[in-house]
Amino acid sequence: MGTQVKDVVIKPEAPNTLLLDKHADYIAAYGSKKDDYEYTLSEYLRMSGIYWGLTVMDLMGQLSRMNREEIIEFIKSCQHDCGGISASTGHDPHLLYTLSAVQILSLYDSINVIDVDKVVDYVKGLQQEDGSFAGDKWGEIDTRFSFCAVATLALLGKLDVINMDKAVGFVLSCMNFDGGFGCRPGSESHAGQIYCCTGFLSITGQLHQVNADLLGWWLCERQLPSGGLNGRPEKLPDVCYSWWVLASLKIIGRIHWIDKAKLRSFILACQDEETGGFADRPGDMVDPFHTLFGVAGLSLLGDEQIKPVNPVFCMPEDVLQRIGLQPDLLN
Amino acid sequence: MHGRVKVKSTAQQEEEKRKEREKKLKAFVSARDAVLRKRSAGEHDEEALQLTQQLLSSNPDFATLWNYRREVLLQLETSREKDEVQKLYESELHFIEACLKVNPKSYGCWHHRSWVNTRLPQPDWTRELGLCDRCLSLDERNFHCWDYRRVVVKESGVSVEQELQFTDRLIGSNFSNYSSWHYRSTLLPQLHPQPAPDSIHSHRVCEEQLLKEYELAHNAFFTDPNDQSAWFYYRWLLGREEMISCVYVSRERERVSVAFSKPVHSEGLMLVLDGQPQQVEWRSTHPRLRHSPVWLCDLPPGSVSDISNEHNLTVHWTEKYTHRDCALYTGCAESWCRDSATDQELFRSELSVEKSSVLQAELQSCNQLLELEPQNKWCLLTIILLMRALDPLGHEKETLAHFQTLKEVDPMRSSYYSDLCSKFLIENTILKMEYAEVRVFSLSNKNLTTLCHLDQLLLVTHINLSSNQLLRLPPQFAMLQCLEVLEADDNAIESLEGLYHLPKLEEVSLRNNRILFLSDLESLASCTKLTRLDLRGNPVHKTANIDSELSQLLPLVTALSL
Repeated sequence: MGTQVKDVVIKPEAPNTLLLDKHADYIAAYGSKKDDYEYTLSEYLRMSGIYWGLTVMDLMGQLSRMNREEIIEFIKSCQHDCGGISASTGHDPHLLYTLSAVQILSLYDSINVIDVDKVVDYVKGLQQEDGSFAGDKWGEIDTRFSFCAVATLALLGKLDVINMDKAVGFVLSCMNFDGGFGCRPGSESHAGQIYCCTGFLSITGQLHQVNADLLGWWLCERQLPSGGLNGRPEKLPDVCYSWWVLASLKIIGRIHWIDKAKLRSFILACQDEETGGFADRPGDMVDPFHTLFGVAGLSLLGDEQIKPVNPVFCMPEDVLQRIGLQPDLLN
Repeated sequence: MHGRVKVKSTAQQEEEKRKEREKKLKAFVSARDAVLRKRSAGEHDEEALQLTQQLLSSNPDFATLWNYRREVLLQLETSREKDEVQKLYESELHFIEACLKVNPKSYGCWHHRSWVNTRLPQPDWTRELGLCDRCLSLDERNFHCWDYRRVVVKESGVSVEQELQFTDRLIGSNFSNYSSWHYRSTLLPQLHPQPAPDSIHSHRVCEEQLLKEYELAHNAFFTDPNDQSAWFYYRWLLGREEMISCVYVSRERERVSVAFSKPVHSEGLMLVLDGQPQQVEWRSTHPRLRHSPVWLCDLPPGSVSDISNEHNLTVHWTEKYTHRDCALYTGCAESWCRDSATDQELFRSELSVEKSSVLQAELQSCNQLLELEPQNKWCLLTIILLMRALDPLGHEKETLAHFQTLKEVDPMRSSYYSDLCSKFLIENTILKMEYAEVRVFSLSNKNLTTLCHLDQLLLVTHINLSSNQLLRLPPQFAMLQCLEVLEADDNAIESLEGLYHLPKLEEVSLRNNRILFLSDLESLASCTKLTRLDLRGNPVHKTANIDSELSQLLPLVTALSL
């Protein structure tokens, strides 16, 4: 009788100190083995992969170890005639990779190597009648893309080109009984979508529309006995939710509802002492995606060895200060 | 990228694995290069379908390949008859289903399937619904499948009742059923909508259905008290929206203040004085609150200053076609009009339910469950919510005891419970204030960790928050437009942002707090009636030349204690 709580058990010998140098070495070496199996198979998201790697290196103060010129040339080769940017050469443009590219160029303060006006046109052109955004010309609708659209435009200082009221209306129509948000109207609440929607509402100045107490409760209930966070009820914890959930809580002013010490030990346990990097949960294989979100999560928790990270954009605060972008958060 | 366990293996096993992956990689790279070459050459043929099929089966997230496939299919459509197109896309559905078996969570697969249905001359929605049933029987939490199901249901006209029955079956047979409860929450308002104000957040369900839902959720968590989905759903059932307002007029300051129960924008606010619309500028109480529950405006000079005149004011809020009247009588320096918190059942568990007898029965059942499972936090929290719905003041002592237990059985969420308890104590104090018809708010020594409902305190003249655990007086504190005396000794206050342009504030006591910088006191300069200030026991006293700095910053303060 009664369900067991789905969770992991952290072994006593799991890492409990932050191995920043190992992570920097891991990321610095990651792209160089171009004949690596995982690396090649993930080409379809390469632009995001680069954004993950560069951002985590910048947060660790090690951005200079990455090959700036090569990356900038790569991004230039990925902008298509329609203005949109693809994940890699030969792939099709998409909002996801357009955002990643703009984030990378913001880190490098080199926005103008691409045709900015065309990017703006591309993003604007993806807004639908009901205010939603398609990911590309093939029409998939998802609140992730609403976030990608406004984050991209905000970084370029061009938020005014879209129909803001309708965009906001669509996102709000995705709010659920539990205060959370899903992909589309009627979709179940999910921490990733909640991050996108609260981030969207922050950028568009509409955070007061969120029921912060109700959503904050749903989010703090993501914390499991191991200290890790899951993405929705009855799921296993995953280090990337240390970002999606934690950033959302920060945006709505409820980050103190999480047990910070327990979360920190979970995140540290997800490190791999041998290879460097973070995995989704202790003992699994590492990758740059989880490495970024593990480090970013620790930054939000206040680790002073890491640069402060902006909870809306998942970029170093100093970059956003340079751009002049400080979206509102609830207190 | 998820769920890949790191397995230790021998050197030989490592070598074998490496060779295998090298082989796989070569095959992938060669197929990928062939496909991209074909596409660059503008070839949209059967071979393109074959090559992409090979790759997509094990790499369904390679989105560009789905795009290419769609281009090929569209091209082939142009040279085929309708029945051939039907066959073409039916075989595509077959292929997608095979991909879904391997990877049921690929955004690309599901979107492609939706796309195919838009191209099919005759989509078979029954078949699609069957696919959803099968997929959900394997994984009831697959949100891709649920989202697809919603499209199928809409296109094929499946009834809401049918879908509710579907959720009944799932909920009855499965523990991990949050997705079903969620779906239910979206179906119910469609089934029995209550006439409600046009609001995005309206989750209204008619009473008869509501009682059935209580029973459903109740049965679920009694069968399994750790089934959190049912408890989440139950909390929603106990809820509703609130809207109240208060209008306050001060003759002396020639100012009107309006309070709503949630933040609004001032667009649509209109003031009518003695039948004449007025040209006024509305502002919120603090520059950081661009959407505010409280808005202020200054009346035209001299319009209400003569105390021998009576005036009638009406504030219109055109967004919701609502208004509130307020009469300013002869001889009265101020006046107000508000919905009483008691009349409006304002704080009944963040919302309300009509049938209190049902709630009473629910409370009894939950108390019985608590006897069997004294450590069950869901049960404890729900009991608190039920007690608040029934009688917040009568159950105050019990509520505080339950919060204490909650913090012991669920320590990770202590901060949440402390804040929630603070919120309920503040609500109770507001109710007590109303019953006593006084404008004094006193909540000292109650472990308060946060302030809320400050929009409800527009009329308060004296506030005592001493001996609590407050960290700040937030911008929202500026809504206490009638405040004359503030006592907040023995807290941990660092920030006084909310002590901003409080027009009647005369006396402030902040002994034994954590005010550190002179700049933290800057906002006090905007409170022009402030004459008495007690800052003893704050680290700011260590600032160099603090006495002279303060007399420069706050020249009007005559009684200063450091």
